[in-house]
Amino acid sequence: MARIYVNEDYCKGCNLCIHFCPKNVFETSTRLNKRGFPMPTIVHIEDCNACGVCELFCPDFAIVVEKEEKEEVAKK
Amino acid sequence: MVTETKIHPLVEKYFRIDRMPHLACPGCGIGIVMNYTLKVIDELGIDPQKFTWVTGVGCSSRLPYATWLGDCIDATHGRALATATGLKLARPDLTVMVYTGDGDCLSIGGNHFIHACRRNVPVTVVMFNNMIYGMTGGQVAPTTPVGAETQTTPYGDIEEPFDGCKLATAAGAVYACRWTVFQPKRVMSSLKKGLQKNGLSYIEIFTPCPTQFGRYILKIGDPVKLAIWTKEQTVDLKKTETMTEEELKDKIIVGEYVDIEKPSLVDRYAELFEKVKGVSA
Amino acid sequence: MISDVIKEGVHFVEGDEALAMGCIAAGCRFCSFYPITPFSECAEAMATMLPKLGGIAIQMEDEIGSIHAANGASIAGLKAMTGTSGPGCSVHQDGYGWAIKNEIPLVIVDVQRAGPCNGVATLVGQGDFYQAKYGTHGGNYEIIALSPSTVQETFDLVIEAFNLAEIFRLPVIFLMDEVIAHTREKLIVPPWKEIEPRIVDRIRKPDVSPQDYKSFGHIATPEAISVPFPAAGDGYGLCLSPYTHNEKGYPSTAFREQDRMARRLIQKVRANTDKLEKFESAYLDDAKSAVVSYGCSARSSLTAVKRLREEGVKIGFFRLITIWPFLDKQIYELAEAMDTLYVVECNLDGQLSREVQRASLGKTEVIHIGKAGVEMHTPEEVIEVIKKHTAVTK
Repeated sequence: MARIYVNEDYCKGCNLCIHFCPKNVFETSTRLNKRGFPMPTIVHIEDCNACGVCELFCPDFAIVVEKEEKEEVAKK
Repeated sequence: MVTETKIHPLVEKYFRIDRMPHLACPGCGIGIVMNYTLKVIDELGIDPQKFTWVTGVGCSSRLPYATWLGDCIDATHGRALATATGLKLARPDLTVMVYTGDGDCLSIGGNHFIHACRRNVPVTVVMFNNMIYGMTGGQVAPTTPVGAETQTTPYGDIEEPFDGCKLATAAGAVYACRWTVFQPKRVMSSLKKGLQKNGLSYIEIFTPCPTQFGRYILKIGDPVKLAIWTKEQTVDLKKTETMTEEELKDKIIVGEYVDIEKPSLVDRYAELFEKVKGVSA
Repeated sequence: MISDVIKEGVHFVEGDEALAMGCIAAGCRFCSFYPITPFSECAEAMATMLPKLGGIAIQMEDEIGSIHAANGASIAGLKAMTGTSGPGCSVHQDGYGWAIKNEIPLVIVDVQRAGPCNGVATLVGQGDFYQAKYGTHGGNYEIIALSPSTVQETFDLVIEAFNLAEIFRLPVIFLMDEVIAHTREKLIVPPWKEIEPRIVDRIRKPDVSPQDYKSFGHIATPEAISVPFPAAGDGYGLCLSPYTHNEKGYPSTAFREQDRMARRLIQKVRANTDKLEKFESAYLDDAKSAVVSYGCSARSSLTAVKRLREEGVKIGFFRLITIWPFLDKQIYELAEAMDTLYVVECNLDGQLSREVQRASLGKTEVIHIGKAGVEMHTPEEVIEVIKKHTAVTK
C-alpha cells in the first residue's frame, strides 16, 4: 500500500510517470494545473506497491511516494 | 479529484525552495539526473556545504545553478572545467561536480575539457548530451548526428559528431561512461563511482530534448514517445564489437569506456610540494 | 618561510622577476598563465617560487583557461593572479567580465607589447590603455588599473594592486610594459616584518549568519568597500553566475536588478576615487607646460623635462600611476594651470592623450607625442617635438 503525492505546482504534465509505472496506477487527464499543464491522475492507488519509479523518473520532483505500513482500504 | 501535495524530501533538504519549480521544459531529462545526483549525494552523506556545483552555459548548467543550496559557481560558456580546476587546486577538500552540455563541454569548452582530462583534475563531470543546442533554440551541436536538419544546418548536418567518451579516454580521464537518462541504476552507480574516483570522471548521459531535438529533428515532441525511441536506439558497448557500421548508425552506445586508477593533479601537486620543501631559493 | 623565498636585501632583477616577488610578498598563492612574451619570465619565477610556499602555479591550456582558473582559485579563498600580454588580454575578456560582475578579487597583469594583434612579441608598446578599461563588453562597470615605471615600483605597486583587489573586490589590472618587464635594476626588499603590515587580507566572514547570507546583499549600498567575500566551502552557499543577478545571486531579467547591479559596479569605484589617486609630479610650480606620461614612456619624459629645465624651459612633469579610474581631477587642475600638455605614449593612435584631452575640458592644448612601438621614446625625440611645437606657437 502506498500514498502518492503529486505536486501540481511543480508538475509539467510530461506523462513520464504514467508511461513508466509498471502497475498502471496513473492515467492522463484533461484537468489542467494553474500553469496550463495536464495533470496525471491516480486511478488505481490500490495497485501501487511503492516501487518509486514514478518518483524516480519525474524530472520536476513533483512526485513523492510513501509506503504505508498499515493495510487500509483505499478510497475509490 | 484534487491530489494531496508534499514537497519532495530531496528538494527540502538540498534545494533553495524559492527557486522551484525549475525552468526545464516538460519531459527534459536534466531534472531526472538532478534527482539521481541528489540521491547519490544523500546516500554518500556528502556535506552540501563542501560540495561545489560548477556549471557552464546551457540548459544543463542553468538547472542546478542557485537551485542547489550549497556553493553554485556558474562560469561563462565552456569555462566550467577551467574554473573547477582553479577551485579544486585551491581547495582540494571540496567535492566538485561539473554539469555541462554537449556544446559547453565539447565545442567552446573542448580545449579545457581535453586538458582537464589530461591533467586528471579530480572533479566529476556530468555531460548532458541531447545532440543539440537547446537553450539557444536548436542549433547543431558537436554531437548532432550527420544529416540532422537543425536551425543552423537546414539542409542537414554535414559534419561528423564527436564521441565524448572516446575523447575523454584518449585525453587521460580515469573514468568515462555513457548511459541514457532512462537507466537510473547505471547512472547512479556511475555517479557514485565518479564522486569517489581519484581523478577526472566523465559521465555522459543521453538526455532527450523534447523541445528542440525531439520536435524538430526526430519529429517526436512527446516525452513518452522520446523515452521509447531512446530505449530502441540504446546499444550496449560490448555488443558493438560484432555490429556493422550500418547497424550502429544513429545508435546511442552505452557502457563504461575506461575505468583506471592513477594519481590526480592534486596528488601531483602534493608530491611537488614535498619535493621542493627545503630546496634553497 | 616567505622570508626564505622573498629574501630581504638588495637584488638586481628584471621587472618580471620583481613582479613575481611582489605578488608572492602580497600573499598571492595561485598563478595561472599561458606562456607569452614578455610575461613568461614572471610565470617562470612564480612556478619556481610558489611551490616552496605550497602555492599553485599552473600553466593552463590558453589564456581563457588561465583567467577562469584564477577566478576559481579566488572563489576558493586564495589570492590569485594571472598574467599575459595584449593578445592574451584580448582573449581574457569574458573571464574578466565575469570577475568584475561577480566582484572577484584578482590581479591581472598585462605586460604591453607592440601591436595590434601579435605585433612584435619581444618589444615595447603601450596600446592596451583603453582595453584595460573597455576590453570587456556590456559596460556598466568601473575598474582599477595601476602602472609602474621602475623595477622597484613594480614590486611595491603590485602589493598595492593585491590590496586594492581585496578592498574593492575587483580584478585589478597591473598594466606594465615590455621595457619595465625586461629591464634589470636594483630592487630593495625590506625585512618581512616591514612588508607584512602593508598587506590587506581578505575578509572572509560576513556579518550575517550563513542562513541569512546573500551573495550580493551589499548591493543596497553601492559605494561599500571592504565587503566580505566568503570562500567556497565556508558554508555560505555562494551564487556566482555570468547573468545579471539580484541580491541573492539568482539570475534576473528585471530592469530593477539590472539597474541595481550596474549602479553597484560603477559606484563602488566612483565613490572611492580618493583612495585611488596615485601619481608622481615634478617641476610643476612655475611650469607653463607639462609632459604627461606613464610606464616606460615616463622615464624618457622625465629626462626630457630635466634637460629642458637646464635650458631654462619652464616645463613640468606628471606621471600617472593609477591609470583607471582616470585622474580626471588632477589632469583638469593641470590643464587649468598649463598652456600645453604634452602626452608621451608608446602608441600612434593616441589613447592616454585622448583621455587627457577629455579631462582637460578644453582648458589647455593637448599634444600627442606618440610612437608606434617596438622602440620607446628617447628623451631627444620628446624634446624635439616640444621645441618644434613651442617654436610654431610662439
